[in-house]
Amino acid sequence: MKKIFAIILISFLLSCSTDSESESNNLLLEESFDRQAMLVNLTENIIVPSLTILDSKLSDLRNKLDVFTSDTSLASLLSLRTSFVDAYKSWQYVEMFNIGKAEEIYYAQKMNVYPSNVDRIDSNTYKSDLDLDAGRNEFSAQGFPAVDFLLYGIAESDSEIISKFTEENGRYLSYLNTVIDKMISNTTLVLNDWMDNKTEFVNSFDNNAASSLNMLVNDYVYYYEKGLRTNKFGIPAGRWALKRSQNVEAFYAKTLSKTLATEALKACRNFFTGTGLVSNQIQGDSFKTYLEFLEESNEISNEILNSFDNSQAKMELLQDNFYHIVENDNIKLLEVFQKLQEGVILLKTDMISIMDISVDYMDADGD
Amino acid sequence: MKNNKFKLHYLFMLILVCTLISCDNDDDDDIIITTGTVEQTTTTSEDTTSDDDSSIDDDTATVIPETYVFERNGESTLSYSGQTTRLNQSNELYSALNDNVASLADLNLMFQGDDSGSSGGFSDETLNGTSKIIGSKTSASTLRGDALTKAQFVQWLTDYTTDIIPNWVSDASEGNAGQYGNYHFTANGHEIDQLFFKGLIGAFCLDQIVNNYIHPNQLDSGTRTEDNTNELLSGDNNYTDMEHKWDEGFGYLYGQIADVTLNNGLPADGESSGNLLMKYFKKVEENYDPGIAKRVYDAFIAGRSAIVSKDYVEREVQAKIIKQELSKAVGQYAVHYLSSAYENYNGGADDIRDAFHGLSEGYGFVLSLQFTNDGNDEPYFTKEEVDAYLLQLENFYTLEANTILEMHDEIKSRFGI
Repeated sequence: MKKIFAIILISFLLSCSTDSESESNNLLLEESFDRQAMLVNLTENIIVPSLTILDSKLSDLRNKLDVFTSDTSLASLLSLRTSFVDAYKSWQYVEMFNIGKAEEIYYAQKMNVYPSNVDRIDSNTYKSDLDLDAGRNEFSAQGFPAVDFLLYGIAESDSEIISKFTEENGRYLSYLNTVIDKMISNTTLVLNDWMDNKTEFVNSFDNNAASSLNMLVNDYVYYYEKGLRTNKFGIPAGRWALKRSQNVEAFYAKTLSKTLATEALKACRNFFTGTGLVSNQIQGDSFKTYLEFLEESNEISNEILNSFDNSQAKMELLQDNFYHIVENDNIKLLEVFQKLQEGVILLKTDMISIMDISVDYMDADGD
Repeated sequence: MKNNKFKLHYLFMLILVCTLISCDNDDDDDIIITTGTVEQTTTTSEDTTSDDDSSIDDDTATVIPETYVFERNGESTLSYSGQTTRLNQSNELYSALNDNVASLADLNLMFQGDDSGSSGGFSDETLNGTSKIIGSKTSASTLRGDALTKAQFVQWLTDYTTDIIPNWVSDASEGNAGQYGNYHFTANGHEIDQLFFKGLIGAFCLDQIVNNYIHPNQLDSGTRTEDNTNELLSGDNNYTDMEHKWDEGFGYLYGQIADVTLNNGLPADGESSGNLLMKYFKKVEENYDPGIAKRVYDAFIAGRSAIVSKDYVEREVQAKIIKQELSKAVGQYAVHYLSSAYENYNGGADDIRDAFHGLSEGYGFVLSLQFTNDGNDEPYFTKEEVDAYLLQLENFYTLEANTILEMHDEIKSRFGI
């Protein structure tokens, strides 16, 4: 085996002394890992199923809302909330795919910018000509954070919340309907876009700034850094500025932040390893196998996996209520932040450079 | 079965990689330079100070200026006012940490800004209402930034208002915060303003320069390399983003100097050197390593010139000089304060509390060591090593002379100073 290796190696070395063949070598290199197959796996096994699951969870939310609308009982409120939690969890598997239609319609911003702007929500409930697509200012008045506020935050107790929904011509209830309908229609737009364009998507496997591969890698790293590390931990815990307990995800539900963060980390891990959500969690080609292919060892991919494990282990130690942690012991959240930060360096510096992809977003630095 | 196939797969790939690397001796090098460069540059600081190298570039033989002056179409391309603002803010924060009037909210406002992310709390109104906030740049680089180290600074502000101010005129003794001479110590003998400010020298100034602004993470982020190569200016500004990032690194050292064209960028006679890196950089030039000021200043100029002439290899050569020299300057003052502390602990002081002010400075410099950069983007001391040292320095009353000596010797040896 070693001899064969040496012979092949030498022959290659000789062949390239003729020079100007780097082009063809590149082609050879590309052909020896099937990046298209990787994109197919990521698309068919993860992206589309994640959106499909979210879509069905939102339908369920819609059904529970219908029940609640006709019967504003505590039981139906609780059932509505359960459905909301399920949908919010499934959203954690979708947020990172800010591509195509999702990017075009600001899907992620319309689904999960927090904290919600309760003043705007309140004034929106009076608007007859409400347009949630009117601009950036509407981002924080819709999506999961708005539903979080409506289901948990419009009054102190559950009974008062139920009363609120029936008071004043049910303005909160109709706003809740509007917001959930919007979430569904946006999700449908994005899902349909994927169904229509996924063939084109998986065929764009070159490594250039506009290729699917390049965008997907960038979106993934961006999400890990901003969506997971910064938004869920860094900002509320005061990594760069004063701590902001009102900035935890699912602020009004109180005990949901940890669940959502845990799902988000799992989503990142699954995507990295190419593990599907459904059908026996099939693992196919992924960033992990691509990285292992490009590396001469599995060093970086193992470090990345370890880093996911380390973050998860730290996260497990947290209590459910991030608001409470920020108020009383924000160091605990910073510890998780720091573990996630180690992952950022591995993904953004090491993985991306091994893949020879450039980061397409700037480091904002406020100067 | 699948495994075997996989192994073959790897082998084949390995061969290909080898051949690609071996073939890679043509003129495309700059394109793939960004990550691997540092190891490849074997040039040392001594033989790059002359500008001979740039004349090899036959297309544009850029003249390297004598001073940090760069222009495009007759107008300056320099801008680092954000750094100047933060350094000026630090002067007021330093005063507040030497007085007994500030509340925790006051100190937090100065260090971390307000709820909306604006700076505030300074008597100089120009320092308020900006997006420039010291705390957002403390222990914040991608390379070495650490959330828990940053949190330590925030904790010190709490300690200052809960331990130091209420015991402003009590006698400092073991287990009791209070005053000794002109200094105010915690129950462990720590002088907080010194921990804080000497810590900022590493966590704020040094880290932002060597681990952020003059590093490819910033310089080559997004499309910056391509933009610089195409001389695409940043918005309405007269600079490319890459030029600007380098200047911002410059600003964290020289940002308070009125005229950086004089005296190798050092403060003019009678001009303040501030409370942070410049203060000790100047002291190193005067007391330990004459010539360092010129070496660093020249490297900033040559690196900036290299950016103008799109020579990214040379840029990294100069960045490496800056990383090493500034890191050594910080190491030098860690050694300096540990050395005098050792003398005091080893019988030199009648009252051990005489050692605490200087040792507090030493503490901050030791903390700063984790933000050093050996030129290959590794710190001279890791965070783990630094944390272990800081744990040893936890209680100045029970500290032993030998502990200080061992720390001192190791730092001295690792920096080769």
